[in-house]
Amino acid sequence: MNAIPQLFFDAMSLGGIYAMAALGIALIFGVMKLVNFAHGEYIAFCVFALIVPSTDAVAVMFLGKAPAFLLIPTLLLIGAAVAVASEFFVFRHMRNATPVAMMISSFALGFVIQNILLVVFSSRPKAVSLWPELNQPVSIAGASIPLLQLIVILSTLIVVVTLAVLLKRTRIGLEMRAAAENFTMARLLGVRANVVITGAFALSGALAAAVALIMVTQTGVADIRMGGQIMLVAFIATVIGGLGSLPGAVAAGFLIGAASVILQGFLPLEARPFRDAFLFTLVIVSLLLRPEGLFAPRSSKPRV
Amino acid sequence: MKHLLTASALVMGLGTAAIADDITIGFAIAKSGWVEAYDAPAVAAARIRIDEINAAGGLLGKQIKWIEADTKSDQAQSASAGLQMVDEGADMLIVSCDYDFGAPAALAAEGAGLNSFFLCAEDIKAGIQGVGPNSFSASVLAAVQGATMAEWSIKERDAKTGYVLLDTTIEYNKGICTGYDWMFPKAGGEIVGRDTFLNGDASIASQITRIKGLAEEPDVIMLCSYIPGAASAVRQIRAAGITSTILNGSAVDGSYWLDAAPDLSNFIVPVQGSIYGDDTRPAVNEFRDAFEAATGAGPSSTYAYPGYLLIDLWAKAVERAGTVEASAVTAELEKMTNEPTAFGPRSFSSEIHHQNTAEMQIVEITNGKPGVIGSFTISEPVPLDVLLK
Repeated sequence: MNAIPQLFFDAMSLGGIYAMAALGIALIFGVMKLVNFAHGEYIAFCVFALIVPSTDAVAVMFLGKAPAFLLIPTLLLIGAAVAVASEFFVFRHMRNATPVAMMISSFALGFVIQNILLVVFSSRPKAVSLWPELNQPVSIAGASIPLLQLIVILSTLIVVVTLAVLLKRTRIGLEMRAAAENFTMARLLGVRANVVITGAFALSGALAAAVALIMVTQTGVADIRMGGQIMLVAFIATVIGGLGSLPGAVAAGFLIGAASVILQGFLPLEARPFRDAFLFTLVIVSLLLRPEGLFAPRSSKPRV
Repeated sequence: MKHLLTASALVMGLGTAAIADDITIGFAIAKSGWVEAYDAPAVAAARIRIDEINAAGGLLGKQIKWIEADTKSDQAQSASAGLQMVDEGADMLIVSCDYDFGAPAALAAEGAGLNSFFLCAEDIKAGIQGVGPNSFSASVLAAVQGATMAEWSIKERDAKTGYVLLDTTIEYNKGICTGYDWMFPKAGGEIVGRDTFLNGDASIASQITRIKGLAEEPDVIMLCSYIPGAASAVRQIRAAGITSTILNGSAVDGSYWLDAAPDLSNFIVPVQGSIYGDDTRPAVNEFRDAFEAATGAGPSSTYAYPGYLLIDLWAKAVERAGTVEASAVTAELEKMTNEPTAFGPRSFSSEIHHQNTAEMQIVEITNGKPGVIGSFTISEPVPLDVLLK
């Protein structure tokens, strides 16, 4: 087995998941300066949408039974719908609130979603065997990796490229970029705030659904708390990527994934349980050196 | 004012008289929140044993009644639920399965001079070492589960090389691996590598890369984890083409998660009692059926059983002591050495209020179907210094 390509693919696939989740958070932050902590719960919600609502220990597939060409778009729509609904019922009423108040309400929203899942599905983790054949290993460049890892890397690249095209070439994309640069000015120039914000939430929700699909195929389990860890890492990725910068969030997502895999691979055994402590130390160092983030957009710097 | 005082004195007198007729067990347990799913089965089992005792004439000639308070799966609420049970006149307390969630309530019992039992805690701290002299757990220590897997795999499967994969998220996991690390080399095996992960890790690709990097696939992999992380790890290990026998602690018992790793084989779980109706001891199967009749479904994991056992053992000790007073009951419990129960012999001592050895059923999963393949008891109890590591 060739160690370097193996490490590369392990790092890219973990980074890809983080990058996709970070992108979902950065999109919303860009247009309305909201750090949406309910994003992790969108992921869990999408995973549970695959199974029949029940508190029984054994999960029965519901949407998960559908063929992939139907399942994937439906789940992306469900993710988008949840995010748009949360914007409509919660965040729309807080447009003029401070970012801190919005962040707190996103925590509250996450708590509500998690508890709804708890009541409907119970807290016991459930088995969801979605596309187990995707975990079959394939050999590439001397590395043996599950097919899913390749799919994760490819789909992250596709999502990032599509999003870049969307932002660069379409009217809504232009409006989103304008809103991310300076929301008040964009509105004054005729950008429709509701359309831009709803669009950002829909995209963010669809990204959460994509992360949910990848996680459930990889792990085979649904757990009401499964979004928490990934949300934390994704949030950190958006911060060290430079809040509001979409390419920054993606790059930082990949960077954290790579750092995590490298630490797991090279730390001595005694230090390995503290992998995340080392990881977050690196995050602190990065923030000390570049407080505005590694890839901060020009707009985030105060123009004094 | 005088009348009011007289009246309250009367009411209090009546109240005490009413309580004195019964023995009261207080359940400070999670009735809501995420811990509920883990507490509920053991609580149901405990109540079945209470009903049995009441039907047979009660304890010390009195009926046992139970009261309960909700910890809401919150450690701070656990303390107040414990105090509430003490205030409402409980004679002993039963607290949440997990040490972290049960300990605050158990400490309230300890402070009031009452006995407390954890529903199924498997950490040495859930007892004298963490709570105090009157606290017990009816389950089997995590280290015993790991040691059982180590010795069983060498004696029954001729395992020579072992790999340790430890999920460092909770103490329970470390307990299993401690027991395995103690027994495997002692019984003649060699640990060829080890690695750690976290339960919530989105991927354990690098851990799998390390196993695949070994010169030879290990005979057994000791996986010290719990669901969901364990299910996810097994799915990824098998998908990567690693076929080693996977050994586990009791926490992965139950068939509900098996869909996560399709057609799983060569997967071993040690349990106190089988939930599949194929236990080697008929009494366990009878209780399993009684549980199904009482709750409408069979237990979803072996963790229902300690609820039954703890009432059984406590009631025996109360009967022998002739009182529910904690120090007398504790003294009787500590005298128990290989006390026969439906789930095999149980012992307590003045040092350990847990089982540091136990007869365990070995459940093997073959083609996604679990079944008991025998029972096994480790050749020597896990010593206290290993447990305290």
